Amino acid sequence: MVFVIDSNIEMANCVAKACGDCVVKIFHNAIEAMQALDNCLPSLIFMDIDLTGPNGFSFLNEVISYEDTSKVPAVIISDLDLSKFDLSMYGVVGFLNKDTMKPEDITEYVTKYTQ
Amino acid sequence: MDEEVNNILLVATELKSPLATLRQMALSLGGLDVNNKIVRDDMVAVSDRAIRQVNDLMRIGKLGDRLFEMEPVAVRGVCDEVTRELQYLFHFNKRDLFIRYSNRARLVTANYELLKSIIYNYLLNAVYYTGDGVKSELVVKDIHDKVRVIVRDYGPSLPVDVWREMKRGFIEKPTSIAMRPGTGGLGLYIASRFSRYMGAGIGAVRHRDGTSFYVDLTVSKQARLF
Repeated sequence: MVFVIDSNIEMANCVAKACGDCVVKIFHNAIEAMQALDNCLPSLIFMDIDLTGPNGFSFLNEVISYEDTSKVPAVIISDLDLSKFDLSMYGVVGFLNKDTMKPEDITEYVTKYTQ
Repeated sequence: MDEEVNNILLVATELKSPLATLRQMALSLGGLDVNNKIVRDDMVAVSDRAIRQVNDLMRIGKLGDRLFEMEPVAVRGVCDEVTRELQYLFHFNKRDLFIRYSNRARLVTANYELLKSIIYNYLLNAVYYTGDGVKSELVVKDIHDKVRVIVRDYGPSLPVDVWREMKRGFIEKPTSIAMRPGTGGLGLYIASRFSRYMGAGIGAVRHRDGTSFYVDLTVSKQARLF
């Protein structure tokens, strides 16, 4: 299962569509996603940093604080250029730029982390 | 920065997300036949150009923070990258581009992204204001101790007031150019702001049959062996 967290509904749907046959759960804020993590652990999280309410970093802080969720890899999809920062301590395994990414970029991560 | 320009930057920030979403939605379209794939690719290309201009405007808002590093930049490489990106647009609009490099100094002191934007905006201008089948020109040459990048188009001549502003090296705010309909002068405004940041000079030469826009860049001494 893949989690997609983005306050922009259309963008979240596009990301979900690019995940192909994989089961995807979409969340529009960090709180909903955090609550869902209590019930199931995804294989991968695609998430924006600018979220309504608590931002993506607050969410990642929460995720890495629990033993089980800390192992879930996250890919940041943002229009901020964060690629020069090492965010591996937050479980971040990759960055995609919203301005330039293609569906294949998402598929690549899905293939790598869900199979 | 005056209030009007600030408002433009604010609008640009608001436009960025919907443009990126539209681009992504176009890319998500599946099961298309050949003709619709072409339409989809056009939608993506138009979004890409719009996102680039929005990003340029957002960069203007950040110039005051001095976040853009000046470094030695291979000017021909920048020109090659821009022409590669715009090749599709020239082809689509049935325009030709003639490229001539004669500069001996290969490195200039600039910020890569800002310089790329200046050349990109000049060339975009040339696409729109050159007639079908007519060549635009991209020339890079030495002028005394500077490297000059020139984009010559064969469209309507530049109005004298805009020419004067360019001669002064600084355009206060985007203004529509009467003889060049369909433009808000945004590209020239962006070029003027970025060139000022980099300490480069911009200007325009009015011809009877079009305009040459140029940017003069300082030669980088860092990698010189002699």
